[in-house]
Amino acid sequence: MTVKTLNDLKCGERGRIVKIGGGGSIRRRLLDMGVVPGSEVKMERVAPLGDPIEIKVKGYNLSLRRKEAASIQVEAT
Amino acid sequence: MSREEILRAKDRSITHLRGILGDDAETVIAEERYGFISGLLRDVLKKPPIERITLSDKIDNVVINRWLGIPLFLALMYGMFQFVFTLSVPLMGWINELFGGLAGYASGVSPAWLSSLLANGIIGGVGSVLIFIPPIFLLFIAIAILEDCGYMARAAFIMDRLMHKIRLHGRSFIPMILGFGCNIAAIMACRTIENPKDRLTTILINPFMSCGARLPIYILLAGAFFTANQGLVVFSMYLIGIIIAIIMALVLRRSILKGPSGHFVMELPPYRLPTVTGVLVHTWERGRQFLIRAGTVIFGIVVLVWLLSSLPWGVEYASAESVIGKIGSFIAPVLAPAGFGQWEAAVSLVFGFLTKEVVVGTMGAMFGVGGGILGGTIATRLGWTPLVAFAFMVFCLLYVPCVAALGTIRSETNSWKWTGFAAVYTTAIAWIAATLIFQIGRLFIA
Repeated sequence: MTVKTLNDLKCGERGRIVKIGGGGSIRRRLLDMGVVPGSEVKMERVAPLGDPIEIKVKGYNLSLRRKEAASIQVEAT
Repeated sequence: MSREEILRAKDRSITHLRGILGDDAETVIAEERYGFISGLLRDVLKKPPIERITLSDKIDNVVINRWLGIPLFLALMYGMFQFVFTLSVPLMGWINELFGGLAGYASGVSPAWLSSLLANGIIGGVGSVLIFIPPIFLLFIAIAILEDCGYMARAAFIMDRLMHKIRLHGRSFIPMILGFGCNIAAIMACRTIENPKDRLTTILINPFMSCGARLPIYILLAGAFFTANQGLVVFSMYLIGIIIAIIMALVLRRSILKGPSGHFVMELPPYRLPTVTGVLVHTWERGRQFLIRAGTVIFGIVVLVWLLSSLPWGVEYASAESVIGKIGSFIAPVLAPAGFGQWEAAVSLVFGFLTKEVVVGTMGAMFGVGGGILGGTIATRLGWTPLVAFAFMVFCLLYVPCVAALGTIRSETNSWKWTGFAAVYTTAIAWIAATLIFQIGRLFIA
């Protein structure tokens, strides 16, 4: 089992969230939007300019910046 | 218990909870909440075994595609302007004929002063503003469609990298787009930006986003001076506004508003087919503000302009000897380096501070003509070249936000200092930009 960050996933790859690092309002916002440990995520696509990224979580599409994704640890599934 | 004791007790509880739960309370609460939801869903929801690729995903594969995303975004914006102008031309023609007919009736009225008030003042002035109902409402319809179908969130997604580059937030993009409708609504929409410096910067650069009230000025002057490239010239106004906004965001964010920007965690909602009622409701909410202003403020200003143009009694209507001519002559020299140092131009800009579409209404009232022939009248009476008209349009785009927008900046920032700053720096930039365009342009054209 390899642990990497959400930012490292390639388009179409899936993972399960292990831990959400960072802190303050970003972390709170991610938790509110359903990005919680145990959730399945799928990397959907990258914005035309390379940032932000779009992921599928809890059956809906969420966008976040690469820097924010880098604070989320996932295990590949 | 004293304040310190309460705070100590809070810290003890936090450490205690972390000890038992192995994580902080925020995470545990969120996990439990979503745990409960997924447990409940397992009982009541039957999911298809394979994950369906939704229509939204298919559309997004094209619309926010790596290569097509930005060209499509620009094409959509450009197409929106073409749609608005192509469709509004015949409609504006009808309104023009209507007011022409009304002015014909009014000129038969006696006494002479009443006939002048009706024909020169009210019908000329209000008519020259009301003629812009078609393009303004069509633009609002286009914005409402993009909003309701879900494209606006994609626009923020596409643009965030750029917005972040200018030290702003992806969410700043929505107020910027709304600024094309009305800066007042847009400045209020800045409330969704959490980071205070992001928010203040977005508020301060918003007036450069060309609102619907400035559109009449462009349509009139572009129609009269740039017959072949009307759409392109109007489009360039919007582009210049965007470029100045970007430059100012960078400058502000690196000088007086230094600091990190907020996060970008946002849902991309599924695409929906906009409903006719939804689009009409949104269009009406924005458009009615224009109509209310046309009926109240603009009507009042038009009568005031007529009065100032007719006083002192006996002078030739709107001549240099009238009160309005004296006010204009006083300011005009300051505007001369930008090419439009005529007192008529100065007067219309002064009135434009009250609300920008009045620039057109003022000229209409001063020259006693409305609608379609006003553009040509300006060309002959003021002796403007296309270059001067362009510099004037740029000045109108950038100079002091209208009095209502300034009032909104005051209430949203809760600061007279920032309100004053917004008024002064925008006017300074307008003067510099218009002067540069006129002076540099003159070298190439002459």
